[in-house]
Amino acid sequence: MDATRRRGARARLVVAGAAALAVLGPLTWLWQDSLLPDTYSVMDMGYADHGRGSREAGQVGGAPVDRAHGSGHEAHLGAAAAGYGGNAGHDVAATGHAGTAHGLAAAGRDDTAAGRDVTSLIADPRRPADVELTLTARRQRFRLATGRHIDGYTLNGASPGPVIHATEGQLVEVRLVNESVPDGITLHWHGVDVPNAADGVAGVTQDAVGVGGSFTYRFVADRAGTFWYHSHQMSHEQVRRGLLGALVVAPAARPSAVDAVALLHLYDGVRTVNGREGDVRVEARPGERARVRVINTENGQTPVWVAGAPYRLVAVDGTDLHEPGPVRDTAVMVTAGGRADVEVTMPADGSPVRVHIGGPSGVVLGSRTYDAAAVPRPATTLDLLSYGTPAPIGFDPDAADRRFVYDIGRRPGFLDGRPGLWWTVNGHMFPDVPMFVVASGDVVRMRIGNHSGETHPMHLHGHHAVVLSRSGVRATGSPWWVDSLEVGNGEWYDIAFVADNPGIWMDHCHNLPHASEGLVAHLMYEGVTTPFTIGGQKRNEPE
Amino acid sequence: MKVLYKVLAYLVAAEVAVQAMAVVFADAGMGKWVEQGGVLDKAVMESDASPFPEAIGLMIHGMNGIMVIPVVALLLLVSSFFTKIPGAVKAAGLVLLLVVLQVSLGILGHDIPGLGALHGLNALLLFSSAVYAAFRGRAAAVTAPARHDARVRSVG
Repeated sequence: MDATRRRGARARLVVAGAAALAVLGPLTWLWQDSLLPDTYSVMDMGYADHGRGSREAGQVGGAPVDRAHGSGHEAHLGAAAAGYGGNAGHDVAATGHAGTAHGLAAAGRDDTAAGRDVTSLIADPRRPADVELTLTARRQRFRLATGRHIDGYTLNGASPGPVIHATEGQLVEVRLVNESVPDGITLHWHGVDVPNAADGVAGVTQDAVGVGGSFTYRFVADRAGTFWYHSHQMSHEQVRRGLLGALVVAPAARPSAVDAVALLHLYDGVRTVNGREGDVRVEARPGERARVRVINTENGQTPVWVAGAPYRLVAVDGTDLHEPGPVRDTAVMVTAGGRADVEVTMPADGSPVRVHIGGPSGVVLGSRTYDAAAVPRPATTLDLLSYGTPAPIGFDPDAADRRFVYDIGRRPGFLDGRPGLWWTVNGHMFPDVPMFVVASGDVVRMRIGNHSGETHPMHLHGHHAVVLSRSGVRATGSPWWVDSLEVGNGEWYDIAFVADNPGIWMDHCHNLPHASEGLVAHLMYEGVTTPFTIGGQKRNEPE
Repeated sequence: MKVLYKVLAYLVAAEVAVQAMAVVFADAGMGKWVEQGGVLDKAVMESDASPFPEAIGLMIHGMNGIMVIPVVALLLLVSSFFTKIPGAVKAAGLVLLLVVLQVSLGILGHDIPGLGALHGLNALLLFSSAVYAAFRGRAAAVTAPARHDARVRSVG
């Protein structure tokens, strides 16, 4: 009897063990499979997508059709699993000054004889700089204008860093010095189509600049408009804590009499404009035209509206709109990472004008008085799809050489061993994401779809793309050029651009924590390679 | 194993209570903050820093709901395989099923707020099922010796 019972108990234990294994086994396997190597190159990440799909360019909401899966799909990251056994001490000064030849260590990887290293993609090294400055980054406790203390990072002792002013066509040279930011830093020129070597993405276009190191960025500010700069090393943390600033490129002829920057940033949850809590006052006399350049450095979009006068939205993402008409009682949504320039003609009676940025405060334009009443957010929102009038865009998007789908979803799984609900690109989770491959001169169309449950501000480095349609509705207004595009949940956008800036470019969500959760892909030109790696001794971590 | 099973079952129930408390704590804090002039938009919502201290309730709710409770429910199911409590596997399976449903409703609720209401209702079902699962342990503790006695008697 006892023996039977013991046998029964043993059988029971075996069944229980098998059941436990059936539950935990697949999970353990998935967990193990998701672990990233210590060091890897973005070139080895995911699978190549050559965009040679059908004319129907995929289908948003379902499985994207016709992706050219390269053989790299199976081999994702396998080759790069070398791993560093702990890195000793601090980084030495960052090498890789723009212009230094890094050697074509990675050239000849797969294709073309004309393999080009990202470090060779630079502005004319013989041309002298027109605008030159040094930005020194520190980790420190600093004071906002209102006296609140923030534990974060500064550039030249302040956050936001200095506003960099340049005139269209000038060559800007910025030397970045890291005095005391322990994780290393970089600077990315958000919205400026810089040469790839100056793009400032740690692990892709350069190594993070360690303490005591420096790096020089050189680029021609070829487009007048509003831009910003920020660290692209551990960006979700470093941007939030202050490594950012505004860059204004003025047109050769200055049209607006009054020109103000309004950089929105939250420090420790406190909303500021240009680092100030409350209103920023700008003097503007009756009858004068005033341009307010709103820069959203945050991870979520924010509405902007104007009280006291009609306004025109004259530029988006550093590009002037064509014949924008006056509007009133209408809000403009400013994408995370995006910019919106609003222009107001000051009322003749001398009354002030309030430019609301996401709430009661913002910029107050005035002369005799700055006592402008706050008004609630208007119910209507300006639709850029039909704002302004059409103008030639310089290429034919219907004759596209490449058609890509960037379809954003979400599902449970493991990301580098962490369980959670993670973003997917075309159904795959990071790092198994597409590498969009193009050749110089290609006309590229991309359909960005989103059914992930949340809105995503998608940012393509190094290029401006024009919006063709949203969820099937064609754009009929001014050409709407973007570098940061808010793709709402359930929407899809068709955008197009000319691949005219060789390199390896990030194409990611500018809700920076989302990027660190894997919502990142890259645009890669045929024959361009990078010697830099994510992770490794320099501890490159772009997101 | 029985003790572990019971502890895990009660832990799920306790976690559901924590979830309810955390989310109302955050909601109340947000209301007070807006009352005092705070403005909530997507930029504030997506900011990592808390604009008001009670926002930590939302973080707790998210972490607990997506990570901790599913793991506990999974361990509850695994532990149920090893207990001899009648109906334990079924009860633990029900708990896990309701957890999966709860997480799904929580996430889809961002999109379709009506599902958020079901999220609240399902929380009560989940709490009840976790307590029910824990009570299976108690019931077994009472009935098992009785059965043992019966068996001894039949042999004798």
